[in-house]
Amino acid sequence: MSEQLKVLTANDLAGGQVVFRTETGWSDRYADALIYDDALSADAALESARAATLTLADPYLIDVAAVEGLPVPTSYRERIRALGPTIHPDMGPQAEGGVLVHALQQARGAARSSGRLGLIRRK
Amino acid sequence: MFHYDAIDAAMVADRNAEFRDQVQRRLSGELSEEQFKPLRLMNGLYLQLHSYMLRVAIPYGALSSAKMRALAHVARRWDKGYGHFTTRQNIQFHWIKLSDTPDVLDYLTTAELHAIQTSGNCIRNTTSDPFAGAAAEEVDDPRVWSEVIRQWSTFHPEFTYLPRKFKIAVTASPQDRTAARAHDIGLVLRRNREGRLGFEVIVGGGMGRTPYIGATIREHLPAEHLLSYLTAILRVYNRFGRRDNLYKARIKILVASLGAAEFARQADAEWEAMDRPKVDLPDLELARIRASFGLVPFRTLPPRSERFEAARSDPAFARFARNNIVAHKVSGYGIVQVSLKGIGEVPGDCSADQMDALADLAEQYGHGEIRVTHEQNLVLPHVPLDDAPALHAGLVAVGLATPNINLVSDMIACPGLDYCALANARAIPIAQAIGQTFADPARAEAIGELKIKISGCINACGHHHVGHIGILGVDKKGEEFYQLTLGGSGAEDAAIGHVLGPALGADKVADAIDTLVEAYMAIRQPGERFLDTYRRTGVGPFKAAVYPDAHQA
Repeated sequence: MSEQLKVLTANDLAGGQVVFRTETGWSDRYADALIYDDALSADAALESARAATLTLADPYLIDVAAVEGLPVPTSYRERIRALGPTIHPDMGPQAEGGVLVHALQQARGAARSSGRLGLIRRK
Repeated sequence: MFHYDAIDAAMVADRNAEFRDQVQRRLSGELSEEQFKPLRLMNGLYLQLHSYMLRVAIPYGALSSAKMRALAHVARRWDKGYGHFTTRQNIQFHWIKLSDTPDVLDYLTTAELHAIQTSGNCIRNTTSDPFAGAAAEEVDDPRVWSEVIRQWSTFHPEFTYLPRKFKIAVTASPQDRTAARAHDIGLVLRRNREGRLGFEVIVGGGMGRTPYIGATIREHLPAEHLLSYLTAILRVYNRFGRRDNLYKARIKILVASLGAAEFARQADAEWEAMDRPKVDLPDLELARIRASFGLVPFRTLPPRSERFEAARSDPAFARFARNNIVAHKVSGYGIVQVSLKGIGEVPGDCSADQMDALADLAEQYGHGEIRVTHEQNLVLPHVPLDDAPALHAGLVAVGLATPNINLVSDMIACPGLDYCALANARAIPIAQAIGQTFADPARAEAIGELKIKISGCINACGHHHVGHIGILGVDKKGEEFYQLTLGGSGAEDAAIGHVLGPALGADKVADAIDTLVEAYMAIRQPGERFLDTYRRTGVGPFKAAVYPDAHQA
């Protein structure tokens, strides 16, 4: 059985917007996100993000799964977070459109993010 | 309305300077996120799903035109052109940057606005009657007492680190428009047989995962002892409220575990032992606060306005007048309610342009006063009936003339998972779907008063427990599901709703509401609201309508 795919996410400290870990840094676009396919490197990336307190707030890992070849967050919470408010398609990263945004908008189901536990304390 | 004095202005300026420094130290790395988070929360700044959110206090829901324009400016300059009025009579801006927040807060001081105590485990904004100073049946102006509480509770050193947040409501009318019985403390102002003002003190109400209707621990507390008695209650809570478990930390849990009688005994003992004159407000200060309200230069007008009556020949105005305008204490005036529940719109949202238009309309026709209701609507409390047709036309022009106050489409909805980091499910799209289902205003009017309240999680910001129909979003195996409750009320007949049956999928909710409404229409007796029918018949006919295939128990 293959390993659970992960993406590392956080909020930009000064701006607040959702960001994703890429090959080289951080991006506002989910489409740029680096997909981790082993737990060790995902956890190591999370540890280094936690140390980057000058630029980031609340980093955590989310589960993603391949849907028709595209990496889609398994929880609808994380899909909404990657897209922007569903009631305002013109706001947030979803406004850009594209194949991956469409895939996230079409995806259904699956459990909530593992990163969600303890959020009431984290707000 | 109340204006800052020099001390208030200095306090807010000091606080903003302090927070500017804290933000700077966070951005430069001197403060860690762990150190900084409680500081930003104390200034109303949350980190939500997509962005920071700044919650600006609107003390007891009272705005002037100038304040409304300041909010419009914040929405336009630092946000995405809109704000969201909340069930606590505050406003939230959902797209604020941390780096901009000190400038936003400084700007807000130009209109005597701030974000102090809009978060954190302290005494929050006091809820009050949006009809204050306008309602015919009120025994006193509840804003006076709300302002007293605001001054007493702001930066109160003893009550800045309570076990959990603390919310107080003040109403002075028999008709409760504050959900007083669902607050940590509800205060209902009355006159006794001797004509003396006093508060019915209700403690331990609340929503969230363990909802309670508050218990009355004093029938008639002499009004002049308000602050000492509140202090006594808060001391008992501060001492014995649970700090070991976040979910059991509200005062409702303490009151429920001790029993209301024992809680009252402890509060009374604390009160008796206190040096009350030191804590209670001096008469002079009360008079000063009182003098800052009630200065509306009402004109002497005949009770019947010919212009108003003539305008009723327009069916749209007639419908607006029936549903959105209620009687004022002063002859020839009306209280005009502005619905923020346009069909298909986001409950509570208001664009910067709409805010500016409202500020102008309030200035032109309503003595420059605007109120926010806990049901996420706005009110122009003092409008001459002669001006109501022109006001209506002005509201139509900016899409704010929806004639649905207290009707099925006048729903409360929390921001839900479209914005909130805590939500389990979206609330707004459900409200939009229900709004579309009941878009026909004639049908909505035929249905009559029906309060639907929607929360995206068990924290219940959408007040679902006290909805005539409550809707709670839950995560069921990774899908958004919605649990319906019936029979709640946040008004003077307060009650917690009962679960109707298994949760429904998102696409089934609006149809289920339609089915509930049809069931009610079929069995209601003359004069009965949905809630009255439910209380008469119980859940049976409603359950059978929504779950026809369920086995009878």
